[in-house]
Parts: sequence; structure tokens; C-alpha cells
Amino acid sequence: MSMGIPEIEDAGCLLCFGYNGADSHPIVARRIVRGRQKGMKIICADPRVTETARISDIHLQLKGGSNLALVNAMANVIWKEGLADTKFIEEHTKGFEEFLKVIEKYTPEYAEPITHIPAETIRKAARMYATTKPAMILYGMGVCQFTQAVDVVKGLANLALMTGNFGGPAMGIGPVRGQNNVQGACDMGALPNSYPGYQNVTDPEARAKFEKAWGVSLPSEIGCPITHVPHRILHEKDEKKRIHAYYIFGEDPAQSDPDLAEVREALDKCDFVVMQDIYMNKTGLYADVILPAAAWGENEGIYTCADRGFQRVRKLIEPEGDVKPDWQIIAEISTAMGYPMNYKNTEEIWNEMIDLCPSFKGATYEKIEKYGCVQWPCRDKSMEDKGTPYLHKDGIFGTKDHKALFYGTDWHPPVELENDQYPMTLSTVREVGHYSVRTMTGNCRTLRNLEDEPGWVQMNTGDCERMGLKKGELVKILSKRGYCITRCLPTDRVEPGATYMTYQWWVGACNELTTAKLDPISNTPEYKYCACRVEKIEDQEWAERHVMELYDDIRAQMGIDTGKGAKA
Amino acid sequence: MNYFVKGNPDLCIGCRTCMIGCVVAHEGKHIFEVDPDSYDFNPRLHVVRTVRLSVPVQCKHCENPACMAVCPVGAISQKDHCVIIDQDKCMGCKSCMDACPFGAINMTERKGHIQADETLKKTANKCDLCYGLPGGPACVRVCPTEALALITEEDLETAMERKRAETARNTFKENHPQE
Repeated sequence: MSMGIPEIEDAGCLLCFGYNGADSHPIVARRIVRGRQKGMKIICADPRVTETARISDIHLQLKGGSNLALVNAMANVIWKEGLADTKFIEEHTKGFEEFLKVIEKYTPEYAEPITHIPAETIRKAARMYATTKPAMILYGMGVCQFTQAVDVVKGLANLALMTGNFGGPAMGIGPVRGQNNVQGACDMGALPNSYPGYQNVTDPEARAKFEKAWGVSLPSEIGCPITHVPHRILHEKDEKKRIHAYYIFGEDPAQSDPDLAEVREALDKCDFVVMQDIYMNKTGLYADVILPAAAWGENEGIYTCADRGFQRVRKLIEPEGDVKPDWQIIAEISTAMGYPMNYKNTEEIWNEMIDLCPSFKGATYEKIEKYGCVQWPCRDKSMEDKGTPYLHKDGIFGTKDHKALFYGTDWHPPVELENDQYPMTLSTVREVGHYSVRTMTGNCRTLRNLEDEPGWVQMNTGDCERMGLKKGELVKILSKRGYCITRCLPTDRVEPGATYMTYQWWVGACNELTTAKLDPISNTPEYKYCACRVEKIEDQEWAERHVMELYDDIRAQMGIDTGKGAKA
Repeated sequence: MNYFVKGNPDLCIGCRTCMIGCVVAHEGKHIFEVDPDSYDFNPRLHVVRTVRLSVPVQCKHCENPACMAVCPVGAISQKDHCVIIDQDKCMGCKSCMDACPFGAINMTERKGHIQADETLKKTANKCDLCYGLPGGPACVRVCPTEALALITEEDLETAMERKRAETARNTFKENHPQE
């Protein structure tokens, strides 16, 4: 995020794009609500009536998969109506002329049939965003989980650039990340293309630095993105490139990844699978070795918040039984494999890391302890450098010539469109009680009281009436890749023809249906769009029994006591 | 005058923390450590989500409660600014549930109480403003967006004064002499 999360409530205008804070980050949603109380204008672009859409000034209820058409149309209006900040564009950016050529055809009238939003509403939204200062953009998985994802992120950045909304507080653009500490994972180089601190593996200078520090030789090629793994196990012709061993920690691909049938086949065919997690999960069923890890309250270390803020996490209780903190497990595995790691604590690891990363160098334990949170870049260890709440101060960008680059692309539709056999769409979403896959929250008993297997499919009430479906009825939902059984939830917050499911349920596992098609740059799957069909189940008694059997079966496979009085 | 808890749909994010807080307040924190089937999960308020509204709905603690009037066994009483159901007295006739115009009462099972047909006893359940519990209504305390408030007689009087002043201003043009 270019801004800090506390700045959200001070924005004059918030464009909330494909981001449902109330379900994914209630604490960020609180900032949005508070901003609203302070008079912030809200434009919400979301196909559903989310909690933010409900309190917005303008709800752009767009057709799923039409993001870039809407974003380009807003840019078109801002330019045509003379609302752009030409001084900012001239002084701080490049590539505007080429960008104009791309957005030329995206008049609101051109975008209307694609987005299903009236042209006049697009105009109003563009005017509100361009004329209310400071204006902030927050976006979520509703932007990132499409095959056209990075283009839309750049499209949103274009809007901020052309209105001069960079370089000051409470403005800019912010991806509110999908998981806790996913920002930290990226910061620490848990990416196929970078070392810690976003230093590229293909940069010889960076590579030499890490080789020297670690006393090893490092590969000069970019590694395998996680979403390419099933293909590299199942279909890779080049024997040298085929993956034979897969070490998975804090992740449950057999639940969270698209096209689960393919994921299961890959885990099955993979010669050696290691799973390191706090509880048993679906991936664990395919593991040759399970390494039990300590949970968040039993660990210490540092998380990075979505707004680049490093925060200390502390141990609440000592881990019981045969579990160990992740860092100790990694150190022991590494030592056993011939590279001894003898860290005494997480601070030692941290100190080694920050000395290799110029933009993190100043963020010492002592400083994070003192200030509670330090946002990178923080380059100096002196206590005066308190980090960087917002990026690109005074319009100085991180490029060589300090200028931001406009980047225009044409909209293209999602990969798998509705058809005769599968006439509806499925998008995967979040619900507030459950975090990511259910490894943690599925084991919280009180949450089970609120929602339980097999979860829900949200459908428009008109569609439900037409199909004779009532609330709570079990239905079968299918795509060309697979199916699952879940409960019908009729709601007018959802548009006709669309369905929405949360992805953590073991029985109502919507990723049986989703497509593994990826954005070409981010390699993120198109979780937000695939064609599906909903079928009524006549024998509800059978369906209820069947769901219980499936659930008990999964629990039995995982070694969970399924008898009455189970300890879950 | 009776107090009541009021939700604000402009602040509510539909998260249902209030419902969990309600259960924890009435059942105790041990529910996090025991089997989910061994305690009562009976929230006394419910988050309602319509197309453009999200807000918890609960008992309004009426001054002349219809529920109290229809209860044949005198299980509902008014005390300390609050309308309360005595679940031990309740015979489960559902008259109060039927009479309540707000849908604030539901029938819930009580663990450990067996009725004639050997199923769990079902009794009327509704908000009691956390009667007798320290700190006031739990839902108000746990809401992450402060969307719930306990409304007292004083709050109502302040609100009415403000509204009256507004009415006066709207009805008659207020005279502001030029300084």
C-alpha cells in the first residue's frame, strides 16, 4: 500500500474496488466506517451489495470480470472533462500520451454494455473521484483474482496518477492483502523472483551479495510460481524441470487452490510431500511427512501489515507436545541437509536479514518495540528514522528517473464465460468468521456455532424462486471440472445469474469448480470467475445424510474422533 | 422508563461479533474450552441483513410489553429498567413469541433441562440487557465499530430536546440579528 492503514479514515474520497473489508478485514472496515462518519465520500465498485457498498455514495455494481473496462472509462471521463491534474502528469510521470490512445475508445457509453453500469453513473463516479481531495483507492481480491489482474492494478494506479493522488497522506492506492503477513512473506523473499527486500534473483550484484553472506552459490534463474506446481508435477516433459518433492508450510493447496481435482492428482503423483502446519488439513492427507508447527500464540517474530508496517508478535503460551516454531523447524531441516543454521532466536535471523536489505535496514527490534510499528522503507538504524507512512513523497517515485509510468491496456473478458451447459457464474469470496482455509478458524468451536459445513452459495432471490430453491436447502453446484454440495442462501445483495461461495469448507469446497487459468504476470488464478450450474436436489433427507457422511469421512481420514463428544 | 439497545445500520458491518459476545456473556468463557454440543448457543439478538441494511435486532423492552401481558404463568416481569423472562417458570407456550411485534423472542433449547417427551426443554429467549452482569450489555462492549448503544431515559430526553429545537427552527425562521 502506498498509504498507511490509519490514513484511510482521513481520505476525502475512497474508491473501494473489489474489496470487501467487512468480510476480509473488519479492523480495516472500521476505518472505512469511521471515515464515513467524518464525511468521507465512498465509491464502491463491487458486483455485490457489500457492507461498504451499502454505505457508499455511489455503488458501481459492475458485471463480474469487467474491471478494466470500468477503470479505463473512469480515466476517459477524467481526461475528457478536464479533471486531470496536468501539472502533476507533466512533472512526475511518463507515458501519458500513449495511455491516452488506449483509453480513447473507453467512453462511458462504450463501457456501459460491458460493465452493466449506466454511462451517467460512471461519469458521476469519475467526477467524484477526481474532484474530491485527497482521494484514495483500496482494492482487494476482486481485482487480483482475475486473469486480467495486474493490468487493472496498473489501471487504478493510472487514475491516482492522472489526478495527482500520490505523494501525500490519505491518498494513493492500497492493495489490502489477502492473508495475514502475506506482505511479510513477500518482504522476506518468499517469491520465485526475489531475495528478501525485493532484490531480484536475476540481478548479479544482489545475487553476489547474498552468496557472500550465506556462503553458497545461488541460482540465477527465477523459480517456479506456486500456481505452476501441479503442471510441473503432472505434465512437465523436461525431466530436469519436473518437480518430485513439495514442501508445503502454512498453506493448504488441497483446499485453497483452484481445480482441486488436479491439485489432488498432483499431490498424489508427487514423489515426496512434506506438510508443516498447526492442525491437520486436506493437504496433510497427501503428505509423506507431517511436521507439527507451533501456532501464532506460541510463536514470536515479526509480521508485516498490508501497509508495510513491521510489527512484533510475541509468544503468549509455551507450545505443548511435539510442536516447534516454524523458524526452528526450518533451521533443523537446513542443518540436516548440510547447511547448518544455528540461530538462537528470531532477532538474530532478523538482524542478518535487515543488514542485507537496504530498505529494511533501519527497522531494528528495538525500534519496532519502541514505536509499535515501523513502515518500510526504513533505511537508517538511528531512532530518528521512524520509517515511511506513505510512499512517493512529493511525487518522487522509485524509478531511475523518479517518474511514474502510465500503463494502458485493453480490457479482455474472463477466460470461461457462461454457456448453455453452465449458464451461471461462480466467484469465490470471504465470510467474516473464517480466515482463509479453515485450518485455524474451522477448529474454533464457537465459530462453528455460527456457520458450519457445508457452507452456503449466495444466489439472487429471483434465480432461487425460478429454480424452486429455499433458504438452507442443499443444492449441487457444478462446473466442468467438478462439483460440491452446499446450502442455498437467497439474497438480493447478489445480481441474477451470479453465485458466490466462500472457499474454506471441506464439504462445500468451491475450489472443486474454479479454474486454474492465471494472470500472466502475477500467476494468480481466476478465482473470481468461472461458469457453473446449480441443480436442485429432490431428496433433501438423503442430501443431509450424505453431507454428514462426507464430513465424518474427511474427519476420520484426518484422524479426528467423530464420535459424540468429539474434542474436534 | 425501560432501557434498550439500539443498533446503527450506518456503522454495522454485519460481523455478528455481538451475537458471540451475547452468548459468551450468558454462558461464560468456558465455552471456548468445552465441547460445542455441551453449552447453549442462543444469541439474544440477531443480525439482520436486507439488501441495503445490516443491523442487529433485539428486544425493545416495551413499557407495556405484549409478551408480558399474554404470558399465562407470569414468567415475564419488568425490573430495573428491563423486561426479563424467567426461563425456569416458562412453560414454552410460545404466546410471547407470537405476541411480540418485533420478532425479538425465539424458542431455544436448554441443555440439561429435559421435558416430558425426553427432548430438551424449549423456553422463550430474548435480550435481558445482560441483567445482573457487570459492565452492561455485552453486545455494546464487543462491537468493533461501536454500532450498538444502550439507550437510557436520559439519552432519549436529550435526543427529544434536540429534535424539538430542530422542529422549532424548521417551523419558524430563527431571527439572527446582524452583528
